Amino acid sequence: MARLGSRFLGRNSRQGNWWAPLILIVVTIALLIATTADFATPQNASNLLAQAMPLIIVAIGQMIVIVLAGMDLSVGSVMSLTTAILALDGAPMVLMPLVFVAAVVIGLINGVAIVKLNVHPIIATLSMQFIVLGIAQLLRPVAGGSVPDIVVTMVTGHVLGVPAPVLWAVVVIGVAWKILHGSRFGLHMFAIGGGVASGQTDAAHNFGLSEQRNIILAYVLSALFAAFAGIFVAGRIGSGDPGVGSQFALDSITAVAIGGTQLSGGVGGLHGTVLGAVLMALLANGMNLANLSAFLQGAIKGGILLIVVALQSRKKMGL
Amino acid sequence: MRVPPAYFVFAVLLATLWITKPQLMNPNVLGIFVRQVAPLGILVLGQMLVMRVRSIDLSGAGVLLLINYLIASGLLSGVPLPLILLLSLAIGCLIGLFNGYLVAKRRVSAVIATLAVTVILTGFVQFLASGKPPGNMPDLLNDIYKIKWGALPLPVALWIGLTALMAVFLSRFVFGRFVMAVGENPTASHFSGVPVERTVLIAHVLAGLFAAVAALVQSASVAVGSLRLGLEMPIDAVAATILGGVIFGRGDGGVWGPFFGVLCFALLFVVMTSFGVPEPGKQIARGLIILLAAIFYGLNTRNS
Repeated sequence: MARLGSRFLGRNSRQGNWWAPLILIVVTIALLIATTADFATPQNASNLLAQAMPLIIVAIGQMIVIVLAGMDLSVGSVMSLTTAILALDGAPMVLMPLVFVAAVVIGLINGVAIVKLNVHPIIATLSMQFIVLGIAQLLRPVAGGSVPDIVVTMVTGHVLGVPAPVLWAVVVIGVAWKILHGSRFGLHMFAIGGGVASGQTDAAHNFGLSEQRNIILAYVLSALFAAFAGIFVAGRIGSGDPGVGSQFALDSITAVAIGGTQLSGGVGGLHGTVLGAVLMALLANGMNLANLSAFLQGAIKGGILLIVVALQSRKKMGL
Repeated sequence: MRVPPAYFVFAVLLATLWITKPQLMNPNVLGIFVRQVAPLGILVLGQMLVMRVRSIDLSGAGVLLLINYLIASGLLSGVPLPLILLLSLAIGCLIGLFNGYLVAKRRVSAVIATLAVTVILTGFVQFLASGKPPGNMPDLLNDIYKIKWGALPLPVALWIGLTALMAVFLSRFVFGRFVMAVGENPTASHFSGVPVERTVLIAHVLAGLFAAVAALVQSASVAVGSLRLGLEMPIDAVAATILGGVIFGRGDGGVWGPFFGVLCFALLFVVMTSFGVPEPGKQIARGLIILLAAIFYGLNTRNS
């Protein structure tokens, strides 16, 4: 019985506690079906998925870094920069690669600053958040411009009757699964993070893992996932907006934490993160249906983050 | 003992301004510039304390918004001003206490905790404001703000006074020793009998208190309540503190290093505006200052 209890709480499992968000999702869906007229229609499900996609993608990237006992606060700004770049005047052939180049550069700066220059991950990514936001605001001071048609079609179109967001979900989650749970790189992530979490920072290093390269790669991946999320958002809104990403930094951390991934590193599962992001999208949907003011919704999301993070245990105090 | 970058940067900026815009170099004009950063300077006092114990406080924006709204919205219209001031200070302490509880007792990451608190406070205030928009600041408050002794404005005197008070407090009281110890090595401090949790908690409470004072000065500087004011102040406070030589656990700059860090900020934005740098340039400057200063310290000590 004790084994079952601690297994439920995710203490002995590397995957973290993903039962809790799953149960909460089932409960929330049941509530929403019971109280709303057309919740259970394919149209609504498709809408919901499209609304949840950006957060799912960003949260996955965030999770890669959090498993390493790091954190990436610059993801929101990367999303904003992506929409700003896509709204520039230029051929899609030029703008799309530019988006990825920017993301890789940002990820590299983060990673190198953290690994080689000894900057604390939170400080590095926090400062990059402002630098990247400033660049986005330079490119696009106010929301506007127009995104290439091909991007809009990629996000809102259909292939053989299947809505694009579903395809995005399959591809993104598939790739992420391969990276995290189906590759040596993923294993190394957990090893490095597990070492940091248990207090022996060079545990992974002592086992011969090239942790510097792995950590830098993780931050590059986080920026890339954020860029993909930014492309999705750009396709949805059709224009560039420097303010679009600001909520996603904290929201992605909330989704990852809800999904059972420990912020102290080493513990977590992709399914948990996806469930966490879906749960947050459902809650947002529910709050909208309940006509809650957008401001209150923001406050509630902050409260959820506090509760979820306060429930995780950590030895370190402070930053 | 390294000299904090703030002194160099301040000298460079002052020289730049003197060469390019000598007409700005009279005490009255400078007094106005410095008065504009007095709220930031006061906020920095609390931020510096918290950063010395390896934590951070990003909730200043929420405190500012809340107090600004409470005074301007007329929710407390029948209450005399001194009582409102006292209430604001109490609110700051309470928010600091909550932050401190989360960081010291529950061991939540300080950035996440204080950012989440900011989100909650901001959302709550904006929600209240959508039903009852903020109105005018009391005239008495505005009048107090404008008091000047020669070229020295009252808010600046308050800032300098509080800084001096903090310097004395940290050097004369045991708490200052605890702050130094916890920042230097929390584990060793714990085993030496230093009350680590309580020190961090008190640091956060004081940070909340200073945030409230800063909020009051900031509110007094405007005629109408605003929901957009001062959202970047906590980050500017972090940048100014780091420039002043105080960075995670290390208090090399003392209390006056961050003081000059704030003055750097005052001059920096003036110089940027006079050179025609667009608004987003300030965002980039904020981030760049923090990153470069952090790299500077990281490279210098190799102490993770």
